[in-house]
Amino acid sequence: MMGNKIAALAAKEAGAKIMFGYPITPASEILETWAIMAQKNKDLSVLQTEDEMAAGFAVIGSCMAGVPAFTATAGPGNVLMQDAFSMAEALRIPTVAVIVQRGGLSTSTVIYSQEEVRLTCFGGNGEGFRVVYSTANIQELYDYTIKAFKTAWQYRFPTFVLSDGYQGKTKSEVVLKKQKKQIPNVAPIFEKQQNLRNCYNLEEEICEVITDYFENFSKARKKIEESSSFRTSDAEIVIIAHGIVSQAAKEAVMLLREKKIKAGLFRPITLRPFPVGACRRAIRNTKRVVTVESAMGQLGELFKSELWGENLPLTEINKPAAGFTPKEIYEAIAKIS
Amino acid sequence: MKILFAGEGGQGVQVIAEILAKAAFYDKKHSSYIPNFGVEQRGGVSLAFVIIQDKDPVGYPKFDKADILAVLSNRSLTRVEDYIGSKTTVIYGPSVTLRNPKNTRKVLKLKEESLPAKVWNMLVLGKIIKTKNIVSNESVRKAVEERFGKYFKKDLSLKELDFRALDL
Amino acid sequence: MKQLPKFPSCYKQSSKPHKFCPGCGHPAVLKMLGQVIDEMNLAKKTVFLIDIGCSLLAWDFFDLPTSQTHHGRTIPVADGFKLADPKKIVIAYLGDGGAYAIGLQHTISASLRNSPITTIVVNNTLYAMTGGQAAPTTINNEITTTTPSGKKDENFKSIHGPELLVKTCSKQAFLARGTIDNPLVLKTYLKKAIETQIKGNFSFVEALSVCPLNWKTNAPQTIKRIKEMGEIYKTGIISL
Repeated sequence: MMGNKIAALAAKEAGAKIMFGYPITPASEILETWAIMAQKNKDLSVLQTEDEMAAGFAVIGSCMAGVPAFTATAGPGNVLMQDAFSMAEALRIPTVAVIVQRGGLSTSTVIYSQEEVRLTCFGGNGEGFRVVYSTANIQELYDYTIKAFKTAWQYRFPTFVLSDGYQGKTKSEVVLKKQKKQIPNVAPIFEKQQNLRNCYNLEEEICEVITDYFENFSKARKKIEESSSFRTSDAEIVIIAHGIVSQAAKEAVMLLREKKIKAGLFRPITLRPFPVGACRRAIRNTKRVVTVESAMGQLGELFKSELWGENLPLTEINKPAAGFTPKEIYEAIAKIS
Repeated sequence: MKILFAGEGGQGVQVIAEILAKAAFYDKKHSSYIPNFGVEQRGGVSLAFVIIQDKDPVGYPKFDKADILAVLSNRSLTRVEDYIGSKTTVIYGPSVTLRNPKNTRKVLKLKEESLPAKVWNMLVLGKIIKTKNIVSNESVRKAVEERFGKYFKKDLSLKELDFRALDL
Repeated sequence: MKQLPKFPSCYKQSSKPHKFCPGCGHPAVLKMLGQVIDEMNLAKKTVFLIDIGCSLLAWDFFDLPTSQTHHGRTIPVADGFKLADPKKIVIAYLGDGGAYAIGLQHTISASLRNSPITTIVVNNTLYAMTGGQAAPTTINNEITTTTPSGKKDENFKSIHGPELLVKTCSKQAFLARGTIDNPLVLKTYLKKAIETQIKGNFSFVEALSVCPLNWKTNAPQTIKRIKEMGEIYKTGIISL
């Protein structure tokens, strides 16, 4: 089954009732799949909006009414949606969006990249009070799309499933686990407070609000952070990679180990909040860290800012908008070691 | 010299602050002016920070404690209490009826002097100029003319009224 | 002694006096809306969504679920809310900038889809909260801060919102323009608009309004100006 189709099925299984979206390659199949499902299932609704801003804001409207809704977009559409996501951050609205990354810089390619990391984690005029899951394969696209709804409604931060065009278009096997539990905490926003605003008059007022959100986020992050470490305990060189690149990196580590090179892999699953503690532990005994990404240092930037204080040599292997095969990563690391 | 003006949107707080900063500039002093207000065009608290100094250009335009605090409305007084230090002179415009906040030492409460409310801001400015000799009368006249010249041409009585309020 | 007329009961007493400027047209529109909500007994079902501009000052005006949105994006939020909870009466309250400039595509789209929301556009021919810049409804020769020598129709035509939407809406929709110069008629339009929503169709009411602050007009001049506006932006129900 195709990745994008799986994402739509996951949203339905999670309990989403409405999808708003605007066609954009390589995410359009999510909207199309949902449209077919909505035709057959009276509980579901679909709306193709006039642009991505309308899609994002309509998701907000539905969430405010207490009905889980979501959208999917990519590249330039992701840029336009930051208007909506900024408001979701400000009013703690549990929006869910599947981002199918395509080439960066403007229209670029419709194929693939990892260049929407910064945009998805910190876009808009906000402070990054968001949850971003970076999926590595289409099984995770299913599992984490379901999880995204639970996280969003539980903690009330706009939540993202950061995938990419390769995963979106990949056809492979997947296990469609049924969900027994409902999305927690679903309720109309007006039950808590009747008059809502995102416009403030005084610096002190908004400073307090944002500081308060930061404290919420800091408390919640320990429960939300996720990562996986592969052969890092005795590694002399640790690769840091996310998403589909981490799959290739994992195979590269196995190739390197065959050649007696002590490589390991740390894979952040949540890019935001970044799994700082787990990362520190994974690189504790290593001699060098290497970030590998299909972007110009966006993962590297996250690593550097979150892991400040770690005094390790860092190499950044950047190939914006182009993929890595396991062999490529293996050769690059072997050269450095 | 650090002067903080506080009032409601529409009372002319910004106008007198700008005139003061401009007058200092004409006196060949260094000055800066920065407004601070919310979104409403009217009502809401309107603040203006003015710094005037001799030696160097002004760096940061805001400050912690004011040398002079001019308050034109009750609502704005609560907003600016923290800017009152042991050396602050507080000047209350005719519309202010609240009591002094704690630790207020030198207070000047202005009376209407049979002037209409629309020039009470000029009354306050006039008092500031007299109290501390920060700027010269000529420079104030020049700044006022510059700001209101258009209106004065249409209505000479306005000019007379403003200068009477300023007590120049 | 004559008794003052009562506030609409859906008013939030604790937020009064309201934050609109003296002489503003918004309170007049909101009062008519408040009366309609009272008379139709809709307080428990209404959701009031407002744009960013002077309309944002109404965020705590009513004792109703209210939310500010983003500039020009009120209508999509309303669309999403209504689709999720069709039993609610969803009102999108915008200025002429939000409805006809930055949000124009959303206005038209909602009409094309016959979205059963009620949109109220308060038209004072300029962008008031940001200091009086030109708007899509600025009139020929009108002086604004971005048209200091007077706006010229030949450079940029004015938009007639309800008239534009005629080409896009369903025959069951309701389009009208009222004025605060004739508040009771405006009130009938607001009522009709909400009835249209209840029947499941798109409704859109533009209300001609005033901004003496940015127009720099006194009371008689303000009234004169809104009457002149009524000559250009004709009031009435648009026939479909």
